[in-house]
Amino acid sequence: MEQYLLDFDLKVMAPELVIVSAAALLSVMDLFLKETASRKVIAVLSLAAVLAAGVFAVMGFGHPPYQILGDTYRIDSFSLTFKVIILAGTALVLLLSLHLNKEEIETREGEYYYLLLTAVLGGMVMVSSADLITLFVGLELLSLSSYVLVGIRRKDLKSNEAAWKYVVLGGVSSAFILYGMSFVYGLTGSTNLFVIRDRLMQALYSGYDLFVYLALFLMVVGFGFKIATAPFQMWTPDVYQGAMTPVTAFLAVVSKTAAFALVMRIMLIAFLPVFSPQISVGVEKLLMILAALSMIAGNAVALKQTNAKRLMAYSSIAQAGYILVPLSTLGFVLFPSLAYYLLAYLFMTLGAFAVLDVVTREGKNEELHVFAGLHQRSPWLAFAMSVFLISLAGLPVTAGFFGKFYLIINAIGREQHWLAGVMILTTVVSYYYYFGIIRQMYFRSPASLRPIPVPWTAGLVIVVGVIGTIGLGLLPDTVLQSLGKIDWGSGFDLAKNAVRQ
Amino acid sequence: MYLTSYLALAAILFSIGLYGVLTKRNAVMVLFCIELMLNAVNINLIAFSKFGLFPNLTGQIFTLFTITVAAAEAAVGIAILIALYRNKETAEADQYNSMKG
Repeated sequence: MEQYLLDFDLKVMAPELVIVSAAALLSVMDLFLKETASRKVIAVLSLAAVLAAGVFAVMGFGHPPYQILGDTYRIDSFSLTFKVIILAGTALVLLLSLHLNKEEIETREGEYYYLLLTAVLGGMVMVSSADLITLFVGLELLSLSSYVLVGIRRKDLKSNEAAWKYVVLGGVSSAFILYGMSFVYGLTGSTNLFVIRDRLMQALYSGYDLFVYLALFLMVVGFGFKIATAPFQMWTPDVYQGAMTPVTAFLAVVSKTAAFALVMRIMLIAFLPVFSPQISVGVEKLLMILAALSMIAGNAVALKQTNAKRLMAYSSIAQAGYILVPLSTLGFVLFPSLAYYLLAYLFMTLGAFAVLDVVTREGKNEELHVFAGLHQRSPWLAFAMSVFLISLAGLPVTAGFFGKFYLIINAIGREQHWLAGVMILTTVVSYYYYFGIIRQMYFRSPASLRPIPVPWTAGLVIVVGVIGTIGLGLLPDTVLQSLGKIDWGSGFDLAKNAVRQ
Repeated sequence: MYLTSYLALAAILFSIGLYGVLTKRNAVMVLFCIELMLNAVNINLIAFSKFGLFPNLTGQIFTLFTITVAAAEAAVGIAILIALYRNKETAEADQYNSMKG
């Protein structure tokens, strides 16, 4: 059967189409609204668009993988799961941004919302692509929108500086990824991940193996920047500190999840030949060392942080190290454990950022001592923050504990005991700084006894975070089993309707 | 033989760009150096699309995409630099150091 480029069932792209049309319509609407009019309607509409896209993504489950647009784009269980996580994270970030007032974003309120939409569109393209070109375009759509989002407070020096550092290091990392991609193209003559997989195998056995490793190395350096692993993490603390808290939460959760999906696609489809046992050059070792370095660097430097957002930045570097563990060991429960941890990470990180947002906004200060005596001022807020911190630290009955437990199973199952050891040791170290905040909240006296005002939208995010964190912790097996039922393998096989068989 | 010289040129350009990003003090020069790195990639792609193991047009199409995206990135970078310059009144990248820790 002859296939035309646009001859496919449009329904499978419904989530992307919803987001792209919402972003286009809202940007036009922003132009026609009066300068003085409130932009809340744009915020509410973009939230509705994200929720609608999420519903479409959930409805897409249960079908065999489907490739469209000349095999460059695929819809499968892998991409749908990541899309749902990304959209849920974005919905919570949007909810958290609803109470931002006009002064804070300096009359650029409309832009803020549709830039978030284009960023999430980039993330969705990234997780669904099966082609280097679409992967790259999705990555850049996400990155370019994030650069602007970080610098959206034009008159704030810190915001400007953060955006500058992000754009420079982001540009360098894109250049590294592209340079790697160009060698992959040279060796295989194709940008399709499945064709690359077959031809890289030939290249490895016909004397071009050094070029394959060079390409892999360049791409790992670029990805290291994007997912913020040590030793490429230097931009993270500055960017997290300079951006507005909801944007920081977006970078920590949504960008990171999308970048991980991208890394998994490229590593497990295109570079699969390199991982085969006959080759054994230690690509896994390289990834494991990256994971261990980020755990050590993130947790060690976090110990001496006094700024709450910088502390969260180093914490997220450490979390990136944990998340790399199943991928680098290619463990037996790779996908379910990774999806479980990403879900747990979503709830606890967004919840923690929501509390951080309301507390720092009230205290007009981002130092750790704004949390002093929070227990006496707003006991429920202090309780919620404790739940998130305990989960981030990985103590029992929270999602974080089981998440880390499942990640470690991957390392132990592959007999990488040193990696499991590093993970456990650095986790113990991390207790110190997480409990530092809890100590501030419960054992320090507050500057004033005034309760902290919590807007209902931020309150909703916190409640969802607490329910998610404790719920995932109470029913870990049920969640893991249902995640295990997802047909992960289909994300890495050629679809039946592929053009090139 | 042809391919090697193109690859060497691209590698040299990429290295000059990377060196510039890491050492240049002027912020505009830093942005130029990122462009150098991206253009090195373009040379690579075009050379491979003519002399690669499987020569075909895909590489040239890829180049069109990278050129477009690089332009967008340069625009965003310059815009951020202008905002930064208005607040800080300097284009020396090593003065952008208000955040530490």
